[in-house]
Amino acid sequence: MTTDVSNLGGRQAGGALAVELTGLEGLKLPRKSWFPRSTVIRVLSPLILLVAWELIVRIGKVGEIFLPPPLSVLRVFVRLTADGTLPYAIWMSFLRTGQGFLYGSLLGIIVGLFVGWSQIIEDIVDPLVAAIYPIPKSALFPLFMLWFGLGDPSKVVTILVGVLFLVLINTVTGVKTLNPILIRAARDLGASERQIFLKVVLPGALPNIFTGLRLGAGIALILVFVTELEATNSGLGYLLWESYQLMLVQQMFACIITFGILGILSTWFIQWLEKVLCPWSTTVTRQ
Amino acid sequence: MADIVARNVRKIYNPDKRYPVLAIDEVSLEVRENEFVAIVGPSGCGKSTLLYMVAGFLDLTAGEIKVNGKPVEAPGPDRGIVFQHFALFPWKTVLRNVTYGLEEQKIPKAEREKIARKHIDMVKLTGFEHHYPSQLSGGMKQRVAIARTLAFDPEVLLMDEPFGALDAQTRGVMQEELLSIWSKRKKTVLFVTHDVREAVYLADRVVIMTARPGRIKEIVDTKFAGYKSTEEVLESAAFAQKTHQIWKSVREEVDKAGPLDG
Ligand SMILES: Nc1ncnc2c1ncn2[C@@H]1O[C@H](COP(=O)(O)OP(=O)(O)OP(=O)(O)O)[C@@H](O)[C@H]1O
Ligand SMILES: [Mg+2]
Repeated sequence: MTTDVSNLGGRQAGGALAVELTGLEGLKLPRKSWFPRSTVIRVLSPLILLVAWELIVRIGKVGEIFLPPPLSVLRVFVRLTADGTLPYAIWMSFLRTGQGFLYGSLLGIIVGLFVGWSQIIEDIVDPLVAAIYPIPKSALFPLFMLWFGLGDPSKVVTILVGVLFLVLINTVTGVKTLNPILIRAARDLGASERQIFLKVVLPGALPNIFTGLRLGAGIALILVFVTELEATNSGLGYLLWESYQLMLVQQMFACIITFGILGILSTWFIQWLEKVLCPWSTTVTRQ
Repeated sequence: MADIVARNVRKIYNPDKRYPVLAIDEVSLEVRENEFVAIVGPSGCGKSTLLYMVAGFLDLTAGEIKVNGKPVEAPGPDRGIVFQHFALFPWKTVLRNVTYGLEEQKIPKAEREKIARKHIDMVKLTGFEHHYPSQLSGGMKQRVAIARTLAFDPEVLLMDEPFGALDAQTRGVMQEELLSIWSKRKKTVLFVTHDVREAVYLADRVVIMTARPGRIKEIVDTKFAGYKSTEEVLESAAFAQKTHQIWKSVREEVDKAGPLDG
C-alpha cells in the first residue's frame, strides 16, 4: 500500500485513492500496450492449429480414421445438435452431474463447517476422511452399483462423493485458517456463538469453499464420464463410448469438444457465483 | 462508568507444553472511572496480553481482574477493544463493519447507519463506506477499526496501539478526536502504545512495564493542568521532562530484553 495521506478530509481522502489508482494504472500501462497483440496471438494460436490439422489430414499423412478434418467434425457436431442427440446426451449428463454436485457440495459445506468449528466432530470425522479420501472415487462406482442398482442413483452418488470430499476438505481449511482475532472481535462486539458461526465462520470460509467448488466441478465432469461408460444408454459419456465402439470418429471428437465446453461453462458459472456471493474476495476485488 | 482493578495477575502461555512462556507476572493496577491510562514497555513484555485479559479473551493463570466491581469472565459490550492488527471483517464493507457492533445490540437499522456514518466521518473515511477492507491502506483499516469500536460506545476502551499504522498527521488528528470523545462521553481508557510522547500527552497516568516477564515497573503521573492549548502542553518543560523520564525508563527495559528477545 502507498503512504496514507488521506487524513485531511473526505475530499483529500478521495484524492489519495485517486493517487493510488493512477499509481496502479501506471504499473499496468506497459501491460496494457501489449494487450491487443496478446489477444491477437491468443486468437491466432488455436486457429493456426485448426488449419494445420485440416491440412495434415487433407495431405493424407494421417488417416481420417484417427484424425478427422475439423470441418467434418463441425458438420457432425451440427447434425448431432440438430437431431437432438447431443442436447439429450448433455441433458442426461447434466442431471447426473448437477444432482451429484449440488448434494455433494451442500453436504461438504455443512459437514466441513462443523468439522472446522468443533474439535469433537473433527476427531470423529477426520479419520474417516483420511481413510476414504485417497481412494479414487471412480473405484467406488462398482460398489455403488452393487448397493444402489444400475440406474442413475449409483452414478449420482459416485459424483456426490467425489465432490463432497473436495468441498469438505477446503471448507475445513477455510474455517481453520480464519483469523481467530476476527472471532474475538465479533465476541467483543457482542455476538453469540450461533451468530459467530453464521456471520463470521461461514463468510470467513467462503473463499476456500469456492476453491473446493471449483475443484469439485472438475472431478464431477470426470466422474460423470466414467460412470456413463457402464450400465446406461444415455449421456455424453455413453455417446462418446458408443462412438468409439462404432468407430464414428467425428462423433467422438464432437463429444470430446462438448465435454470441454461444459468444463468451461461450469468454471464460468462458479466464477459468477463467487462474484455474487463473495464480492470481497481478493480474486474478485483485485481483478 | 466503570473502573478496572487488576490484582496479582499472572499469565503463562502453554503451561502444559514443553516451552511455557511466563508473559506477565504480579501485575496489579487500578484504573479509576473515567481515567485515561497508557501502558508502555518493550515489545513482547505482555501489553497485549494484559489488554486481552481485561477484554475477557484470555484466562488468567493467577490473580483477578474486575471491571466495574465484577470479575471478568467473558467479552462483553461494556468493554470495546481496538486490536493491534485491526481485525476487520474482510467480507463486510466499511459501513457494515462499523454497524456490526450496533447490530448485535439490536439498535434499529436507520439509527445504526446514522451512528456509523457519523463515526466514519469522524475518522475521515466518508466516501469509502462501500469499500471492502482489502481495498484500503493499513492506516485506513486502522481508522475503520477505531470507528467500529467507538460506534458502539463501550464504557471501557481498550486500545492496542490503535494509531500504530498511521502517519504523523493523521495520528495527531486521531489523538485530538480520541481526547474529545473521552472528555465528552466519559470513558475509562486503557491505551497501549510504543510512542512515549503519545502516552504522556494522552494519558492521566503512564504505566511502564518491565521486559518479559512483564511486571509493572513504575507508574508516572502525566496530568498537565492549567495549560490553554495542546501546543502549550507539548512545548512545556514539564512535558519534555516527563517524556524523557519515561523514555529512559523504557529504554532500560528494552536494553535488558536484549536485541534478539521479544
Ligand atoms: N498465543 C501465545 N502463545 C504463546 N506465547 C504467547 C502467545 N501470545 C503471546 N505470547 C508471548 O507472550 C509475551 C507477551 O506477548 P504480548 O503480545 O502480550 O506482547 P506485547 O507487549 O503486546 O508486544 P508488542 O509490543 O510487540 O505488541 C511474548 O513474549 C510472546 O512470546
Ligand atoms: Mg502487542
